Amino acid sequence: MIYYIIVFISIALSFVLQEFVPVFEWAYGARLMLVFTVFLCAAVTLPFPVMLLLAVFTGFIWDARYHVPLGDAGELSFGLTIFILGLLGLFIQGVRPLFSRGRWEVPVFMVGTMIMVGMLIQFLLISFHRGGVEFLPEVWFKILMTSLFSMLIAPIVLLLLSRLAKKTGFRIRLEGITRNLDHYGDAFSA
Amino acid sequence: MSRINIITLVVFGVVLVWIFLFSPDTIRVVQRGALAVFAPMMSSSEKLERSIDEFGDDGRSPRELRKRLDVLERESALLRLENERLHDLTEENRALRQALNYVENSPLNLVSARVINRKGPTWYHTLIIDQGSRSNITVDSPVIVPVDNEAALVGKVSQVGEDSSVVILLSDEVCQVSARVMGTTEQGILSGQRGALNAAPELKLRYISKDAAIAPGDTVISSGVGGVFPGNLLLGEIKEFSRGAIDGEAVVISKVNFALLKNVFVVSGLKE
Repeated sequence: MIYYIIVFISIALSFVLQEFVPVFEWAYGARLMLVFTVFLCAAVTLPFPVMLLLAVFTGFIWDARYHVPLGDAGELSFGLTIFILGLLGLFIQGVRPLFSRGRWEVPVFMVGTMIMVGMLIQFLLISFHRGGVEFLPEVWFKILMTSLFSMLIAPIVLLLLSRLAKKTGFRIRLEGITRNLDHYGDAFSA
Repeated sequence: MSRINIITLVVFGVVLVWIFLFSPDTIRVVQRGALAVFAPMMSSSEKLERSIDEFGDDGRSPRELRKRLDVLERESALLRLENERLHDLTEENRALRQALNYVENSPLNLVSARVINRKGPTWYHTLIIDQGSRSNITVDSPVIVPVDNEAALVGKVSQVGEDSSVVILLSDEVCQVSARVMGTTEQGILSGQRGALNAAPELKLRYISKDAAIAPGDTVISSGVGGVFPGNLLLGEIKEFSRGAIDGEAVVISKVNFALLKNVFVVSGLKE
């Protein structure tokens, strides 16, 4: 329980830090998506229901801060980030068994990939709304650099989270992922 | 999938639908609250970025440092500092005088605002200013800056908080302005670039006649059609013009440097 509270506080803190993260003009406006990175790293460690709750919390604050209302609603609906985070969290939960066994490279790669997918969804929705897809090389570069920045910071976030989990006595549960493991995933090591 | 996971997923779906169905007024209230909460951080981050930039400006090579040392030996440090300060104050005074002069002579009701943050959403060009509904700023209020004693369009307000507002820049594709080329009857729609890829992108003037007599260097101004933006606001200069099968399209360079904006004016109507 303490770990869950710490994760929610970390997300709130990442929103504050996100304000101080610079935008790189040379990378066509790419930047480190700190909030998304912390969410995805936390999603690797959390049980499914808590991950969804975290997606609602993170997505709601993100849209409250960054949603652009155009006309009566906006191109990207208010709440879309919650859906995207829920979806990405769902995918990244698939690497929980690897992470619980100390494998970090796949979760880090997945964080970058998920951020790329999230940005692509947003861009495609904007393009669909404006009636024409324009995939300039700059768009790909921006998406790629943003996900690379996130992949650079992801190991540190994962390390911090795993340290916090250890200190608070939290253990990654794997229930619902496979029938061959108990809910701690200990069957592999037995 | 366990029962608890299925129940959570259903609850998640219901919450999501409920949030999707928020009315524009509810979203406005939520975002107004968020702007109020985040405003101090936005302001601090901008200040921090500026100090870092200024620190970078002082970085000199060893040779330059030696030169600077020679100069410093000849001059009193105190006097230099005072001189620099006086110079800054003179520059600031000149800029403020120009702005004041512009406000006094402008036929528009203007609210002066400072840019407090430039870090917007991933796919939009926005900035945040330190004036909001308390200063009678409303959604869609045009935002301008004086350029050579003329009003140049920066963008329009997309979101209003009590003491801060979000401005969507002219460089964004969604900020579309009815424009005309000065000295001709040619009218079209001017818009920016999709995806917020560059701080100063080339703007596109579309739906103009393919036989238009337009030349590079021609000035583009707002036509006033549509009611959002007043007429005769400076938009930019034609860079090139290409003729299509049905209509023509011109590339326009904005007169405003969006990356360096510090102070802007929000139009809150015409003077009585």
